[in-house]
Amino acid sequence: MSFDVLISQFLGGLSVAMLLFLVASGLTLIFGVAKVFNFAHGSFYMLGAYFSFQAINLFNNFWIGALAGAIGAGLIGMVLEICFIRRISGREEEGAFQILLTYAFILIIDDGVKFIWGPAYKTISKPESLAGALTVGPVTIPTYNLFIILLGLVIVVTAWYVLSRTRMGKIIQAASTDTQMVGMLGVNVSLVMSLLFGVATAMGGLAGAMAAPLRTIAPGTGVEIIIDSLIVVVIGGLGNFWGALFAAILIGEVNAFGILWLPQWASLLSFAVMIVVLIFKSKGLFTREQGRKKI
Amino acid sequence: MNHKTASLLSALLVCFTSAVSFAGETIKIGALYPMSGRGGLYGQDSEAAIKIALQEVNAKGLPGGRKLDVIVTDDQSKPALAVTLAKRYITEDKVKFLYGVVSSSAALAVTEVSKEYKTIFVGTDHAATDLTANAFQKYYFRVSNNTFQSMAAGAMYLQDMKLGKKIAYIGPDYAYGRDQIAELKYCLGKLGANFEMVGEFWPKLYEADYTSYITAIVRAKPDVLVCGFWGGDTVAFIKQAKAYGLFDKMKYFHPDGGGNYEVFSTLGAECPEGLIMSARHHNNWPETKENADFVQKFKKATGRYPSYAAEGAYVGILVIADAIRKVGNADDTEALVKALEGMKMKFPEDPAGFQSYIDPKTHQIVQAQAIGVTVKNDKFPPAKYMLGNFKVYPADKLMPPQDYIDLLKRTKK
Repeated sequence: MSFDVLISQFLGGLSVAMLLFLVASGLTLIFGVAKVFNFAHGSFYMLGAYFSFQAINLFNNFWIGALAGAIGAGLIGMVLEICFIRRISGREEEGAFQILLTYAFILIIDDGVKFIWGPAYKTISKPESLAGALTVGPVTIPTYNLFIILLGLVIVVTAWYVLSRTRMGKIIQAASTDTQMVGMLGVNVSLVMSLLFGVATAMGGLAGAMAAPLRTIAPGTGVEIIIDSLIVVVIGGLGNFWGALFAAILIGEVNAFGILWLPQWASLLSFAVMIVVLIFKSKGLFTREQGRKKI
Repeated sequence: MNHKTASLLSALLVCFTSAVSFAGETIKIGALYPMSGRGGLYGQDSEAAIKIALQEVNAKGLPGGRKLDVIVTDDQSKPALAVTLAKRYITEDKVKFLYGVVSSSAALAVTEVSKEYKTIFVGTDHAATDLTANAFQKYYFRVSNNTFQSMAAGAMYLQDMKLGKKIAYIGPDYAYGRDQIAELKYCLGKLGANFEMVGEFWPKLYEADYTSYITAIVRAKPDVLVCGFWGGDTVAFIKQAKAYGLFDKMKYFHPDGGGNYEVFSTLGAECPEGLIMSARHHNNWPETKENADFVQKFKKATGRYPSYAAEGAYVGILVIADAIRKVGNADDTEALVKALEGMKMKFPEDPAGFQSYIDPKTHQIVQAQAIGVTVKNDKFPPAKYMLGNFKVYPADKLMPPQDYIDLLKRTKK
């Protein structure tokens, strides 16, 4: 096995991992802080892709499309949090209601996009500046995939800065441990939750907008993406932001090299990794078994 | 109510609900299609094509002044749901025919209902060879081709064009993907072709990202990459592979579902040139009046050009109407089966001088298969590329031979 094959497989896996992380991080953030399991998180990824498709048709500019995808998905996320999710918070049967409610969102959003954009697949073009490929010796990587990897890294660094170095980050960390206490200290918790929901769904929307030039968008895409994201979130530890990053890279690379060495079994590998992790660390890799949870 | 009145009433009731046909009464067909999700476009296109066919058939008239009517329900491509709906069609809606179905696994379930209730099932889009081979039952008919026919033509094309002997395959990891490569290998073997498989890759259906598959395929260095995707998966794979320059390094060969119009309309100007593909129906082949008329009627009715699902859904209605005309009614199922067996008819996808016919032994439609190469063509917008330089393979050379059917019977029980 030559070194260049390993490098191109690794870089390919990394670009898959970064998109996976963008979706999974929003999912895990909402769970970690708001204790809401947002089954419809994949639908925001889909919405982001559709919004970006629409904006590009109107303005013929990829970056406006990306912005529209993130902001549009984030705004809808906030509206759904304020109008619906907040209403069931604190109820005795909250867990079951969350699944029912967010599952209903999936159906409504799917039918909504079908109503607006029709059932046919949509796809968008890469921006001119990122359409080529970078070739170093025998290794070729499309510029766009490289861009996705860099974007992922920028988001990781930004998230680290916001979560650990800003007041807002500290409030979010505190709220994930004890929401009631944070409220007593004079923080407007419901505002924080709405904002958090908005940011998390905007990250999903951004992932969708970024993935749209590579993939196809169709009604139902949201449900397809949520399974892989769930695997990542479970492996990393429910609610654990850094766990999601590690797990996304793990899954991306296990798949990349699985496809190379064990192509017959490739589609089973992510599940196999999840099973192994759950046997040895039932709460995920990055969750401490007892005591405080760190996000 | 005394006993006498009660029996009189129930006798009357039996009269009204029995299968006696009255002049002008509609003959119902129960259609099942996915109307949402990934296969949703096929369902929508099929429904539009059915409406066109119904207008034509009812305008021409049926015996006894009766009319055909089609009920379309979303089966979500789920076998269990399709079975429930099919049974309800038969027992409550009293349909005379079951119709449609895109997913092969749903069709394999519905054919069992058709057998149990002795109700004719006309399949219009699903491609699993099994339905007209090992899972054959006499009330099932298929008016679109199966994967074996595509692969038989594909094997001949590979031989004729000398595309190279090192073959890699990528296809969705379920029956449709697995069957295609098994059939291609069988057909290449029958032709005595000298070939070597250098890799087989099995992403899951609706896989979003093929990046790692693409780098692995490039490393395997095949002469030809055979592809077994359908719909959006084809589009995603082509877009991602193009960025890696895959199409400069090997021939891309996609003989069953690759050349579906939806692929070209979605890719637009991004479609690479020189991809070798086919489909169950082409909007620009054959260049016959029948095909041009069908495509234009569809365009007029919907504002868009049809994906390949539409043609099957269109011709199935014509076939049913023809059988009813021959038999004189829609109630004698056994006579309808006989009328359908061997039926010959000119379809939009039949080249000049050829008529499709239903093989009396397997109930599979026998059709020619045209394989083309992507070339610039903006006559069917939003597509910018369509297939051209077609090579046509005669219908009678594409049917699975008895030893293959026997093999399926032995291995797929």
